[in-house]
Amino acid sequence: MPADPSEIWTRLPDAQWDAAAARHLLRRAAWAATPQEVERATAEGLDRTLDRLFPAEAPRPPEPSSVSALEEDTPAFMQKLRQAKGTEKKELQREARERAQGALHDLTIEWLRFAAQPEQSASAKWVFFLSDVYVVAADKVRNPALLWQHFDTLSRHAFGPAPVLTKAVSRSPAMIRYLDLDQNKRGAPNENFARELFELFLLGEGNYSEHDIKESARAFTGYRTRFGEFFLAARQHDAGTKTVFASTGRLAGDDVIDLAYRQPAAGTFLPHELVKFYLSDTPLAPEQLAPLGSWWSENSFALRALAHRFFGSRMFFAPEFRGALIKSPVQYYLGLLQELDLDVPPLPRRIIFPLRLMGQMPFNPPNVRGWVGGRSWINSATLAARRTLVESLFAPLREETLNADERRALSAARAAGNRGFTIGEDGFTDLSQLDSTAAARHLATKFLPHETAPEIEASLRQFLERDDEVSPAQRARRLRRGAVALLQSPEYQLC
Amino acid sequence: MPSPSPVLPTTRREFLRLSGRGIGLLAFSRFAPSFLVNSTRAAAPAPEKDRTILVLVQLAGGNDGLNTLVPFEDGNYYRLRPSLAIAKSQVLRLTDMAGLHPACGALRGLLNDGRLAIIQNVGYPNPNRSHFRSTEIWETASPSNEFLPTGWVGRFFDNTCCGVPADAHDPVGLHVTEGMPQSFLGAGEHPTFGLSPYARSHRENEENRRLLESFAHGSANRAPSANETFLEHTLMDALVTEQKVQTVLAGYHPAPESNYPQSLFSNSLRDIAALIAARLPTRVYFTSLSGFDTHGNQASQHTRLLGELSDGLAAFQRDLAAHHLDDQVLTMTFSEFGRRPSENVSHGTDHGTAAPLFVMGSRVRAGVHGTAPSLNLAPNQDLTFSTDFRRVYATMLDRWLACDSRAVLQDSFAPLDFV
Repeated sequence: MPADPSEIWTRLPDAQWDAAAARHLLRRAAWAATPQEVERATAEGLDRTLDRLFPAEAPRPPEPSSVSALEEDTPAFMQKLRQAKGTEKKELQREARERAQGALHDLTIEWLRFAAQPEQSASAKWVFFLSDVYVVAADKVRNPALLWQHFDTLSRHAFGPAPVLTKAVSRSPAMIRYLDLDQNKRGAPNENFARELFELFLLGEGNYSEHDIKESARAFTGYRTRFGEFFLAARQHDAGTKTVFASTGRLAGDDVIDLAYRQPAAGTFLPHELVKFYLSDTPLAPEQLAPLGSWWSENSFALRALAHRFFGSRMFFAPEFRGALIKSPVQYYLGLLQELDLDVPPLPRRIIFPLRLMGQMPFNPPNVRGWVGGRSWINSATLAARRTLVESLFAPLREETLNADERRALSAARAAGNRGFTIGEDGFTDLSQLDSTAAARHLATKFLPHETAPEIEASLRQFLERDDEVSPAQRARRLRRGAVALLQSPEYQLC
Repeated sequence: MPSPSPVLPTTRREFLRLSGRGIGLLAFSRFAPSFLVNSTRAAAPAPEKDRTILVLVQLAGGNDGLNTLVPFEDGNYYRLRPSLAIAKSQVLRLTDMAGLHPACGALRGLLNDGRLAIIQNVGYPNPNRSHFRSTEIWETASPSNEFLPTGWVGRFFDNTCCGVPADAHDPVGLHVTEGMPQSFLGAGEHPTFGLSPYARSHRENEENRRLLESFAHGSANRAPSANETFLEHTLMDALVTEQKVQTVLAGYHPAPESNYPQSLFSNSLRDIAALIAARLPTRVYFTSLSGFDTHGNQASQHTRLLGELSDGLAAFQRDLAAHHLDDQVLTMTFSEFGRRPSENVSHGTDHGTAAPLFVMGSRVRAGVHGTAPSLNLAPNQDLTFSTDFRRVYATMLDRWLACDSRAVLQDSFAPLDFV
């Protein structure tokens, strides 16, 4: 990385754009660096690749039908619930919870399917990043329709000006529920949202006063929702004079957001989060981050421009960052599927359980800070879960053990053309033509984050070249077992 | 033949330190097994022998209780099940009213020998018919309208200091399922271990471990990042436990009279017996038999599964007895729900509610416990449970695992007298 801090965020020189750089970009900006994507990116060049990965508009995932049905039925259901009494009421509430649980699983699976498509992986991950800043969680929001809507809001504004995104988030019904904005009223403000807005969304601790929070909470009074629609309840709203960041006036919520973006800390806050999510679990020095922050505030806080600047910078491609970040469970899972060319199976048990055991359920981060990430992903239980996930992808689906609804879902997915859910007995037969050296090189290059991993390649070659098994089927078996171990290795947990 | 490595580790810390330097298991593989097996024994001082152990057997998919424990004197049973009912003449009679499915001969033998308790009609209020949710209710022991983040066994680990083994890495819970069962999730972190249910030979397990071990050496031509070193250490640590477990499994000789049948399920029980016999300090084991979701053509599938269950459990019990471990172990089955009393048009049964469960061991009060469900039901109506499953858990906790059940179940449940 260049020593001069003013240089570090400038564009990577073209001469340094090669397959290794493309792999680094693809693994970090998206989930995996498959050979075809690497080839395409290398040929296209950095600028065109960035244009493609971070387009003007993020593709938006479709709303699962069970989620939209839930949304449509809500008004009638609420009516029914109001009239019900005693056990009937309890029964209705129970039904609603179960429906919500099912819809949340659908939402999770549908989102994973969407994000697993290589052409939309980078923008899906970017929205996932935004959702790790603008956190809402299923445990508190409960309603998957609102969660979908929140993600949809993040997707709509993913590459526009950040202040517009923040204002949209302040009106997101999921957020209004998650941070108790619906409890915030004139005369009795609830400060939860105002505090997190400054601390976790825009500025970071130490960059606002308690007074700023108190006054801002008043500006956000009366933010209400009804069946997934935002409205300002005028009678609950405090339209009086407030002073926030030394500006005084009859400030509304949007004014507070604009004032916050004028604070010096606003320029570096999101870049700081960006570094933590995409680049390194060790924060950069303030003087390294500062130039990016001032550049971004001078560029109207445009999110797409920030993505292009960040992912195209010398800093991002610096050698010390390559292959040094621990993959999140979602990245590990989707990366495996893409690199093995497998589909997301329509089986909640095969998706929800492993993700839960690895420690990351999309749509349900543990608290308002989002996921801690880094080494906190790894302990003996989560590492075991990662290894088991790999084994499960290399073992046949034992269909006789599936439940009836799982079999139905499987047939439907197969009818729709999804069939590759596991690597079969015939997997890797194409590689069995290669000699051991070439096959080891192929697997190591395909899966490992480092260009050269001579020790690993050597171990793998030794393993492959044992001469007691010579038939192509036995060779393919050995290749599969070699791949399994490679995907379970410490190195593969990194990107 | 390679000469023995001069630096033999004597402690786990030493072992890991050497591993971190790139001298892994392979470097002293001739010595590793004895070192590891010895440490297994060392971690289990004499008092460990008295420790009670619980083996949980999940019957995944929803076991049909009515065709497991058959109410052969109840006309309603034959009315509700015109094609699926077990003929009275075929039932293996236990009492004047109830008997087992003909595939459960081995279980009847156990009951007659005083080693099997059957608790009838176990369920919970406001039953849920989703596999996913109802399994969660059983595993977390939550009321059906509440979501708990932790499992009941995990809370047992949370609440018991004697659940923590001498060697902090030895697992308190061990499962032979694809992932850690939700039951094991505690508020705190507890060492648990999973045996892959993807049946592979010992050779393939060994192969996998050795390869991983060789990969974990890191690269000599560049300094590994801090994260890489951290991952290598975590993995090496897991491999130590794994090697320990697999060494035990590979060297295990079941008692000749145990006569385990050939099936994945019975293999998992054999492995559990091996680990219990090796005096691992593990308190709770978990295995699973799936395929009970019999919506269509139930008869043959259910017969096969009950046979597998019955023969597997009986072999396991014979094995434990031959090793004089049967006093220490109770084995309990559970399933997310029973099935609908009325059969459906496809000669199967749909999701239902309550069902009987089995508790096996030489310390049980053998026999049929609790009350049978009333079958005076309209078509497609469900059973009403008579024993709350949390009373079964409370009994296990209070009377077997010696842990205050109120702390684990967050409520007070009257214990039963099956143990």
